[in-house]
Amino acid sequence: MDQLNVGETVLQARNVHKTFGTKGNAQHVLKGIDLRVTRSEFVGIMGPSGSGKTTLLNVLATIDHTTDGTVLIDDADISKLSNTALSAFRRNKLGFIFQDYNLLDTLTVKENILLPISLSKMSKRKAESEFTAIADVFDIKALSHKYPHEISGGQKQRTAAGRALIHQPSIVFADEPTGALDSKSASSLLDVMEKVNQQRGVTVVMVTHDPVASSYCSRVVFLRDGKIYSELYRGDKTRHAFFNEIMDVQAVLGGDHVDGF
Amino acid sequence: MLTVFELALRSMRQNVKHYYLYFFALIFSMSLYFVFTSLQHDQAVLNMTHPSVDFTAGFQIAGVMLIVIVGIFTVSANGIFLRRRSREIGLYQLVGLSKGWVARYLMIENILLGLGALLAAIICGALISRLFVLILLNLLGLEGIVGISFSVPAAFKTSMVYLLIIVITSIQMMLKVYRSTLLNLFQADKQPDLTKPPKAVASAIFALLGLALIGYGYELSGHINEQLFLNAPLVLGSIVAGTYLLFRVTIRRCFYRFRKRKDGHLGLTNSLSMAPLMHHTKANANSLTLITVLSAMAITLISMAYSFYYSVEQETRHDFPDDFMFENEPQEALSFKMELEKEGIDVNHHVVQAVLTMGIILDPNDESRKVEESLLWLPAEQLKQTGADLNVPPDGEAILYNAGASLAGDLDEQSKRYPTEIVLEQHGQTVMYTLRTVMERNIMNLNAPGSQLLVSEATMDKIAVQMADTPGYKIIRFDTFQVPDKEELAIASSLYAKSVSDELLYYFYAQYKEVLQTTGLLIFIAAFLGLVFLISTGSILYFKQMTEAEQEKQSFKTLRQLGFDVDMIMKGIIRKQAIVFLLPLSIGMLHSIFAIKAASFMIRSDTMFPASIVMAIYTVIYFVFALFTIGYYRNIVKNAMS
Repeated sequence: MDQLNVGETVLQARNVHKTFGTKGNAQHVLKGIDLRVTRSEFVGIMGPSGSGKTTLLNVLATIDHTTDGTVLIDDADISKLSNTALSAFRRNKLGFIFQDYNLLDTLTVKENILLPISLSKMSKRKAESEFTAIADVFDIKALSHKYPHEISGGQKQRTAAGRALIHQPSIVFADEPTGALDSKSASSLLDVMEKVNQQRGVTVVMVTHDPVASSYCSRVVFLRDGKIYSELYRGDKTRHAFFNEIMDVQAVLGGDHVDGF
Repeated sequence: MLTVFELALRSMRQNVKHYYLYFFALIFSMSLYFVFTSLQHDQAVLNMTHPSVDFTAGFQIAGVMLIVIVGIFTVSANGIFLRRRSREIGLYQLVGLSKGWVARYLMIENILLGLGALLAAIICGALISRLFVLILLNLLGLEGIVGISFSVPAAFKTSMVYLLIIVITSIQMMLKVYRSTLLNLFQADKQPDLTKPPKAVASAIFALLGLALIGYGYELSGHINEQLFLNAPLVLGSIVAGTYLLFRVTIRRCFYRFRKRKDGHLGLTNSLSMAPLMHHTKANANSLTLITVLSAMAITLISMAYSFYYSVEQETRHDFPDDFMFENEPQEALSFKMELEKEGIDVNHHVVQAVLTMGIILDPNDESRKVEESLLWLPAEQLKQTGADLNVPPDGEAILYNAGASLAGDLDEQSKRYPTEIVLEQHGQTVMYTLRTVMERNIMNLNAPGSQLLVSEATMDKIAVQMADTPGYKIIRFDTFQVPDKEELAIASSLYAKSVSDELLYYFYAQYKEVLQTTGLLIFIAAFLGLVFLISTGSILYFKQMTEAEQEKQSFKTLRQLGFDVDMIMKGIIRKQAIVFLLPLSIGMLHSIFAIKAASFMIRSDTMFPASIVMAIYTVIYFVFALFTIGYYRNIVKNAMS
């Protein structure tokens, strides 16, 4: 949509380190990650279990603090923000999709989707039209007044995706969004995410271990042992060709079965 | 068996932070039961109190009520605990342990916990019973030191109550383990009830029916004493049913309509208060009804007891305006006066000459009612000199003084009877006097003969002339005594008791002491029972909210990740707690206001002041429970991200 902004940096991670545990028993999970994400990119992060994918996502998404290094989102250094400011930052600039949906059981589909803008000063009419647009994209209009326990996993995840997009965030972070879905639901979700990424210019950073899922991305970053191992750009390749390339790197990486140590 | 035992011990240690309030409430109510039964069996206390006050029965009834409350409390609390542990119960079965094993495991844990509570209760009870005796004696206006020994029968009875609790909760556990399938054990948290839209017509009817039942109950409570034994259960039934419908249908319908009008734009605060409340409507309806009804009963009980206790002196004064009275006994009166003066006691002595005749008070609403009764004609001018608070009625008119008027039915209803006529038959001729109105107190002590009619002295003299020599005619000389100083009154009373040979002594001080002991016992029992009610209901609310808080942990985590900070989330939670605690409290209070009004025919003094004090205390304690709950929630929300 906003072609002028393509190429502009949205997220910049410099020399990010993350250590868990205390001295002596420290576990060095991220060992100096440098990553730049530009507007309208659809970045996949892959790697074997224990390679630090989810930790990286949490650190980038301000859910966790870095031990060392800086993360800039929209030119704001998030490591310098207070907890309150971080909350406001997440609320206004970021969207989240989780593996297990994390919808509020007590709210309907529509109420769940509208939740992120519940504290913004957006008028009800504007909010309503935003909702209609999002619900059309994800094909969940008919489910508006259903509760999470009444709908399928795929529908839940599309609801969660709608919730991640309603407030037009700068970046959407997705943590294994297809992890709990069957292949049909997964591909229908990814189709829509790809569409949203291309048509609305939404920037997406997605952690996944599924090569099919990452074949929808415009770039895939491979992690190994807390460092970036390699990167692949889709460019003009077909999804199938890109998928094969991803599989090749995975084979070298040792797939999902090697735990990285 | 040993492994089950060990596992139960370990699980108790882990669960202790969830159990401590349950433990405390159980120990508190059981030690109270122990104290009540100890007092019931204690001879020293019985000897000190007035023989006409039935202490044993009072403590027995209190004991039964305690058992009922403890029963309701443990069943509710145990239900909540079982629900929160259903995943654990399912897990044991999933790894291949038999249902019998799981039931045994739960029961061992329960028995050990109960045994601990029992021991603690008996020890605490034995320690605090002395304090209770002191409080009781203070309330009864008795002095002296009473040592209370450890009561074996009380300990035995307390153990029996414990056994009863164990049996009930064990049955509950077995039902839970044997009846539920693995699937519903694992989905216990997620099972919403009643999220479906209410059926429009049926719910509208039931919503209105709930309100109508409560309204009917309130309306009927206004004239409950007309047919007490029919109306009382009817009032109770309709209010309980109405309250249940109110929570189950009416409030849910209001929430539902509000939510529907919001059309998805619910906002964070409502999402965290109204939505989860609607999510658990069914379970909430049960517990909120129980809590509302229990609160209403407790508030009514304590308010009434407090009103009785608070008004003892005033009430006794209504029956006995004078401290002492001699009827046609001038010699005795004189020697009593001299004795008082010898002791240096200040006394106001007055002589009142009254006339006793037979006569009929007509009832304009019921012309057939013509009952001849003794009428005591009292001269207003003479009484005024004794310091009595009265106005001299115009000649030919009388005012009836009857302290027991309200016991005979609704006062407003009775006042419609006035003014009426008094008919006197004198040698075949009839004379009529106007009876202006009735006052709800006596102008002479209760034991003076006849219905007390206040007239001007001139009117009384006229009646004395007209009615002379008729059957029942009598001139009575009353010697009345007032002792202004309270401490001197006690001494004077013992002198009076000695000087009068009569077995049945009716005088202010004796009556006051007796009523004070009865009502003192009443307030003692009511206050502690009320406290148990309060702690049980407050704890049940707390347990329920604690469980809900843990079920909602994931939601809080999600909200925190989406960028809502602790304070924003707490706003919704505080609103939810406000609803959860305020609804039963305010509706319970409203119920109790009507209940107190209905029961106030038993009491002549104002019930407003004592009742508002009781309600204020109740509100404060509920508020503390609400604060605890909010604190628990805040902790969970704060730590949700880690």
